[in-house]
Formats: sequence, C-alpha cells, structure tokens
Amino acid sequence: MVRLLIKGIECYYGSIKALENVSFSISDKEFVGIIGPNGSGKTTLLRTIAGVLKPKIGTVLLDDWDIYNLKRFEVAQKIAVVPQISSTTFNFTVSEVVLMGRNPYIKRLEKESERDFDIAEKAMRLTNTLHLAERFINELSGGERQRVIIARALAQEPIVMLLDEPTLHLDISYQIEIMELLRKLCKDNGFIILSVFHDFNLAARYCDSIILLDKGKIFSIGSVDKVLTHENIKKVFNVDVVIKKHPITNSLYIIPITTLKANEPKGIKVHVICGGGSGAPLMKSLIEMGYSVTTGVLNLLDTDHEVAQSLNIPTVSAAPFSAVTRDEYEANIKMIEKVDAVILTATPFGQGNLMNILAADEALRRGLSVIVINEPPIENRDFTNGEATKLILKLKEKGAIFVKSDNEVLQILKELSMKRLAK
Amino acid sequence: MLDKRLIDIYKKRRAKWPFIILSLIIIHFFIIIISLTIGSTYIPLIQILEIFFKRIQIISGISMQVLDTEKINEMIIFQVRLPRVLLASFVGGSLAVAGVVFQGIFKNPMADPYVIGVSSGAALGASFAIILGIGYTIFGSLTITISSFITATISLLIVYNISRVGSRTPITTLLLSGIAVGIFLSAIVSFLHIIAGEKLHALVFWLMGGFSYAEWRDVQIIIPFLCFGFVIIYIFSRDLNILQLSEEEAAYLGVDVEKAKRNFIIFGSLLTAAAVSVSGLVGFVGLIIPHIMRILISPNHYILLPSSLIAGASFLVICDTIARIILPPIELPVGIITAFSGVPFFIYLLRKTRGKYKFFE
Repeated sequence: MVRLLIKGIECYYGSIKALENVSFSISDKEFVGIIGPNGSGKTTLLRTIAGVLKPKIGTVLLDDWDIYNLKRFEVAQKIAVVPQISSTTFNFTVSEVVLMGRNPYIKRLEKESERDFDIAEKAMRLTNTLHLAERFINELSGGERQRVIIARALAQEPIVMLLDEPTLHLDISYQIEIMELLRKLCKDNGFIILSVFHDFNLAARYCDSIILLDKGKIFSIGSVDKVLTHENIKKVFNVDVVIKKHPITNSLYIIPITTLKANEPKGIKVHVICGGGSGAPLMKSLIEMGYSVTTGVLNLLDTDHEVAQSLNIPTVSAAPFSAVTRDEYEANIKMIEKVDAVILTATPFGQGNLMNILAADEALRRGLSVIVINEPPIENRDFTNGEATKLILKLKEKGAIFVKSDNEVLQILKELSMKRLAK
Repeated sequence: MLDKRLIDIYKKRRAKWPFIILSLIIIHFFIIIISLTIGSTYIPLIQILEIFFKRIQIISGISMQVLDTEKINEMIIFQVRLPRVLLASFVGGSLAVAGVVFQGIFKNPMADPYVIGVSSGAALGASFAIILGIGYTIFGSLTITISSFITATISLLIVYNISRVGSRTPITTLLLSGIAVGIFLSAIVSFLHIIAGEKLHALVFWLMGGFSYAEWRDVQIIIPFLCFGFVIIYIFSRDLNILQLSEEEAAYLGVDVEKAKRNFIIFGSLLTAAAVSVSGLVGFVGLIIPHIMRILISPNHYILLPSSLIAGASFLVICDTIARIILPPIELPVGIITAFSGVPFFIYLLRKTRGKYKFFE
C-alpha cells in the first residue's frame, strides 16, 4: 500500500505565509479534492507536494521517501502534475508533448524506446487524443490541450497525480469523461489523486474526501458530507448554499443562494403563508433584501418547506401530506403575532391547508397588513368546492391588499418599511 | 489515423531527419567549394580539385613537379581562402547554436548572444587583450579567446544574478538586465576606443567583425571549443525541448531546471566567446538561423541543433564571400552583409508563415 504523507508543512512566498501547518495523508485508490477560496493556498499545496516549492517547516513523504531528498527525475517518476495553464513558446506536435512525459525514464544519450512509444500511445488512447498526434499543440482548443496534458501526465506512469482544476477549459461532456477516467485510474491502477476544484458539485460527485483550505490552513478535512456543509461553506466562502443529495447520482449537490453581505436588515418582519413551491422565489428575495422572514404552516417534503429550511427561515411544520392540525394552527398564529405583515401566496388550497387562510384572517383581525397574491386567481386553484374562494374573497372585504406578483409584494413592503423609517 | 500507431507516425517523421542533415552538409560542401574559387583571382574548380589531390599525394610521400602559377594558387587556397572559409563556417555554426540555446532557455525568439549581453562581454575581454597587446604575445590569439570567455561568462553571471529572484530566474528580468549590462559593457568598449591610440584601427575593424585576417591558428582555436560545446549541448537537447514549456512544468517532468539553465548558459557563452574572439562582432547569425530552421524543419532540438549548426556555417560562408567580392578591392566587414541579407529574408519568412512553424512537417 502506498501512502502520501504531508507532515506539518509551512510555506512562504518571500515573507508572506502561504501555507500553515498543513498535515494529512492519502492512501492509494483515494481521490481527494482540494477546495477553497482564491488565495487560500490550493495551488501552493500542489506545488509543494510536487516538490518544486520546498516548505520551510515540515515535509512530504511518499512511501517513506522524503520527496525533497529525491532527484527531480525520481520525483517525476512518482508524481505527475497537470497544471492549470500549459503553453509552449515554439510549436511542438501533440505526440512530442506527450512523449515529454517519458522524460524521467529516458537516460541522457538515449532516445525514446519502443516501450516509451507504447506507453505514450496508451495514454493518448485513454484521453482520446491519438487522432491529434500530428497536430500542433498551440493550435488545439483549450479542452483538447488539457486532454493532451493529462495524457502527458499519464505517460509519466506516476503513483500520484496532482491536478489543478483539470476541467476548467473542458466541455461538459469532457468534464465528465475526464473525471470518470481519473476515477477509474484511481480505483483500477491504485493512483493517488489530489485535485483542486472550483466546482463543488464535481468535487462532491467524484471525490472520496475533501480538503477545505482557508487562508493557508486546513479548515476542514474528511468525507464529502462532513466537509461540504452549509456552515463550512458559509464560513469560508461567505456564501449561503443549499446542499441536497441528488436523487440520480446520490452525491451531494450544492447551489449557492446569495452572498451574506447582500443587504442591511430592513427591520420589518414578514410571515409567508405558502406551499407547493409558490413561496420559494419570494422567500429568497425577501431574505436577500434583508427582511426577517417566518413561514408556516408547511408540510414536510413540500418544496417550500425545503427552501425555507435551506434559507434558515423559522418554519411551522406539519407532517407530510397531512392536514394542518389545531396545534400547528396555534403555533402559526403565535409566529404571526410577532410580524408586521403576512403574505398569502397563490398556492392551491385543499381541505388540508384551509386553516392557513384562517390564519391570514386572524392576522387581519389583529390589525396586521395582509397581502394576497391572487394570480392565478383563487377560482383556478380551489380544490374545496368553493370554500377557499369564499374565504379569500372575505379577506378582501376585511382589507387585505390583493396583488398579482411577487414584485408588487416587494414594492408594498418597501413602502411599509419607508413609512416605518419615517416614524 | 486512429489505427495508425504512434511509433510509426514518429518514425516516419524522424526518418527524414538524417536526410535533412545530409542535404545540409552536401549543400555546405558545395558552398565551400564555390567560395574557394571566387576572389581577387579566379581559381577554376578543376584546379582546386587538382591542388587538393596533389596535397594528398605530397602528404603520402609522392613527389611531383609543380608549376609556379599553381604554386601561387596553392598558396592562395591553403593560406588564405581555406582557413577563411573554414573559420567562417565554424564561427557561423557556433553563433547559430548559441542562438538556439539562448532562445531556448530564455523562451524568447528575440534572445541571442547580443540581447543578453554575452557578445558585449566577450567583446570587452577581446578588446582588453587587443589593447594591452597580449593578443599577439603570450599564447597568441588563444589569449583573446580565453579573455573573451572570461568576460562573457562574468557578464552573463552578473546578468543572471541581477535577474535572479530567490532560486529562480524569470525571463523578463533576465532579458532586461541583459540589455542593461550589454549597454554598460558596450560603453566600456567605446571608452577603450578613445584610449586605444594606435591600436584603434585594429580594434574597430575587429569589432565590426570579419575574416580578412583569418589564419589556421584561429581555426585551431575555435574547433575544440565548438566541438566540446556542441556535444555537451546536444546531450542536453531533450532538456532544451522540455524547457520550452514553463519552467515549472519542466520541473514536473523531471528536469533539474536551474542546473540545466546553468549548463546552457555556460556552454552558450563558451561558443559565443570562441566565435567573438576569432571574428569580432558578427550579428544576426544567432538570431536568424535558428528561426529559419525552426520554421523550415522543426522546433525539436534533436534536429534543430545540428541543422542550425550547419546552416549557420553555410550562411556565414556565403555572407563572407559576398563581403570580399562585392566592392573590389575593398573588403566589407561581414557583419554588414549578415545584416543586409539576413534581415529581409527573415522578415519575408515571418510574414509568409505568420508564426506557423510548418513547411516539411
């Protein structure tokens, strides 16, 4: 079993500390991703492991070999690097570039042997670049060139492959193809793969574990679920994300919602009564604009419920596919008591959620502003034989404001907060 | 294409390379012969061959009756034209190879012995030797070569150390400091002109570059430097190929970048110094020939180095021949001809190919 051991490395560029006390170990057949914001030391970490940047403190051991004591060609036989950008001054052909990967094995005064050609050819087949053999490297597209560079790295027959955002220039089809290839090489040939990712989803899908770097230090390390959490990403990247398990790939997928510093808090509290996805965009906009938002009653598994959870909105929840109970109704009213405005979105109404209209009614009775989005009109989404329609129209009589879109809601809330400020 | 084997594609291409070298050698041989016939006295080709044939017989001990006119022609060939043509060949080859090396390690098509201050350094050493008169005393011209090599290497080391950032030498700072140091050294050489006194003429003519006073001694001096330098550089030609990627990538591929650069700098300076010391400042060979060879043949140093060596030799022999016959009885410094003939051709090729390096590929 091969093991790559990074022991307490600390790196400097001049007097600027780029990496601080970074330690971890990777075994063969492990695919590890490095993520982190710009300037967090991702590329520096790769360069250090590749042996071109010597750390001030600490060392890198590969199978008990201290890589800083090895000659360059010995390191190149074990560790291959796929850099982010690769270019040549003078124009070489693709086959010449791939054969450069055999350099660490060819002695001075020797030419490439039959075996070197076989290995280069195999690497080119795997990366689907053999048909480019006689093309000039500088004439290739970004994606083609990237595959050639990966072929060159494979030709080095390494134990460890270090990649710096390998899919940056690739089409989506090649992104998947290259990642699948790397994963296969990792599992079948026992490679150790360490790759920098910008794309969380790609990292989540293909990595066994993830290293999250922040300001040159390891912020979190471990399995994908452990590292890619809402809290970690929020702390390191300052971005709110929704994290879900993808139903098809069964890997995590991450969607950024908004940056935290978006807006000053508005000081106005809003309660959203919604369901079936009708409130999701509005809740997101409200959060982004700095309103404090609550919602309810929502059934678990409802889209709006999931969105509210990922936006960290306090929610009154009901069991999946069940009618709203008396207790939940009370809890909802308790929440409504604390807000300035209640919004009733254009959700379909059935017997199960009729209680939510009553909650809006109660809000009106207590003198709160109630805004009703009635587009599509209630008649089209009434599954209670007219009962819901009756209740909604009653709201209008009692002074609820009827609007047709989320934007109108936001406009009214804006006026409300201005008035509040004026006071 | 897909079922074609990589090795076959490669073999097919490489199979051309010996023929390219062979053709270049044959062309060079003809250029030498033609150059030998041309001059203040025209010596027909047949007679040249006879002279060579007789010389071989004399060496092998067979005595023959020799006519007076033939004797004079033989003198012209062996004492004047042959050393001159050979010296031009070796100087051209050295400068072209030095050009390949400097362009290769600095990854800049504009790098040549002049740009990075090596030629100026070599010129300074040679000027010192000439002015102090030691060029004609202690070890003869070898003193000029040694003194050139010392100052060339020192100037390159100064440039190298100015441009060094930590353990690395970024190309931009290297070129900039090369230009600065070059200008400084040229200023010293100019100063030497003023205090040169009676040696001014010799100094100026030497600096302009030329083979008018070519002697066998000069040829003997440059041969070992060229052979040694070229062999070492050729052994490292794969490193030079890989250095065409970024230095970082070269390191990833197992090249000890700093060591390789150091070797190339030393042997590139050695070739430059040897050439400068026997012929003065001859420009453009190191800039143009590698370019043309890259465009015509391949940027792969396996083939680029030997082809530049021979083509550089041919180029300088042609230029020198033109220099001595174009305005009789005056002989022009060869540097003027290299600039006049080389630059337009270079611009023509550059325009025509628009930076795409392929012709025979």
